Amino acid sequence: MKYGVAALFLFLAAGGLSANEDRMPLTIEQVKATHERELLAQPGVVSVGIGRDDQGRPAIVVGMDKPRPQTQAALPRVLEGYTVRTEIVGTIRAR
Amino acid sequence: MAHMDEVRARLQDHSKGLLGRANVVATGAGYKIKSGKRTKKLSMVCSVAQKVPLESLAVSDRIPPEIDGVPTDVVETGVIRALATRTERQRPAPGGVSIGHRDITAGTLGCLVKKNGQVMILSNNHVLANSNDAQEGDPILQPGPIDGGKLPTDLIAELHEFVPISFGDPPPPSDCKFANGMIALLNAGCRVIGSRTRYSIHRIQAADNRVDAAIARPLKAADVNQDILEVGRIAGLGRGELGTQLQKSGRTTGFTRGEITQVAVTVDVSYGAGRVARFTDQLMAGAMSQGGDSGSAVLDGDKRLVGLLFAGSDNSTIINRIEHVFSALGLAL
Repeated sequence: MKYGVAALFLFLAAGGLSANEDRMPLTIEQVKATHERELLAQPGVVSVGIGRDDQGRPAIVVGMDKPRPQTQAALPRVLEGYTVRTEIVGTIRAR
Repeated sequence: MAHMDEVRARLQDHSKGLLGRANVVATGAGYKIKSGKRTKKLSMVCSVAQKVPLESLAVSDRIPPEIDGVPTDVVETGVIRALATRTERQRPAPGGVSIGHRDITAGTLGCLVKKNGQVMILSNNHVLANSNDAQEGDPILQPGPIDGGKLPTDLIAELHEFVPISFGDPPPPSDCKFANGMIALLNAGCRVIGSRTRYSIHRIQAADNRVDAAIARPLKAADVNQDILEVGRIAGLGRGELGTQLQKSGRTTGFTRGEITQVAVTVDVSYGAGRVARFTDQLMAGAMSQGGDSGSAVLDGDKRLVGLLFAGSDNSTIINRIEHVFSALGLAL
């Protein structure tokens, strides 16, 4: 049993190492998927999507229910090389 | 050539007689159209519900080429109806009009779709199935209850199927001690061997929502219409991308246009009474809807169906991807 757990542990840790070494550039979809749960957990964040920044490049867009200077200041500006911008979209309701 | 005053005078004399002839629905003064082109000749224009071969008409119903020296013209306009508003009863009912489950206010009849070859009305779960609180066979009214729809006169369809909406906050991290212990051990191992990867564990949760959709079976095929008000016939299925131009026809704001500003949107939507549902892989557009527009079919610039409108705020509109709606309910056009 002990050896079994140790083997599993080594296998998974080595998997983590190799995934780290030959790293492909992540797509914006992957980056968004990795971080959206954490972004949506911030106060006032109602949506996370893929839109465009001022220059028309793909960007991660974080929708706020209303202006929230504290949350907005605390959000990252860039994630894995992709611009993150906030937008006041308001509370989203079923229509 | 006849002058406008002369044509008007002749119309006064003859319009009653012309309107009494078979098929004629309107008379007026206008330039004569010849081979699809407007000529400079003023004429008495007779609008007809449909053009028919001259021989099939009684002589007394035919429009002579000229009356008292003024030429005539015959154009096909179809039957002319008063434009009924979207919140009124309409039979056949097209897409874009008020509809709703007996226990709701009102939403929009999106469009007609097919399930196993049967014609169905497509709209939202919260329009046709009262946000999960409904049974197959429940009555669907057109117009919806808030627009005066009543049983039994305004019954148009029966609820056939809906995709349940899963409400609730996203689950907290796992509180399983064994799992958390294993993860701590693995992460320690990663640190020891210099890997920056970290493992984490989450309780298995119900899948996030992708659609707020339901279908209802019309009681009579003649009570529904393939067309969408002010849009016309759907040209096929499309796929919404960033920048895709949109059009929709809804109960409250009528015909509006917009553009997809975000894709792959994960969004928390309020359903009232403190209920919130998280939706993934949604489309976002700007302000192109209001309450009551829910269920509207959303089409691209070429009239291809790309989505089903279901939520929004003062400056945004949230749309389910039509491919998710069709696969969740097994639909076809």
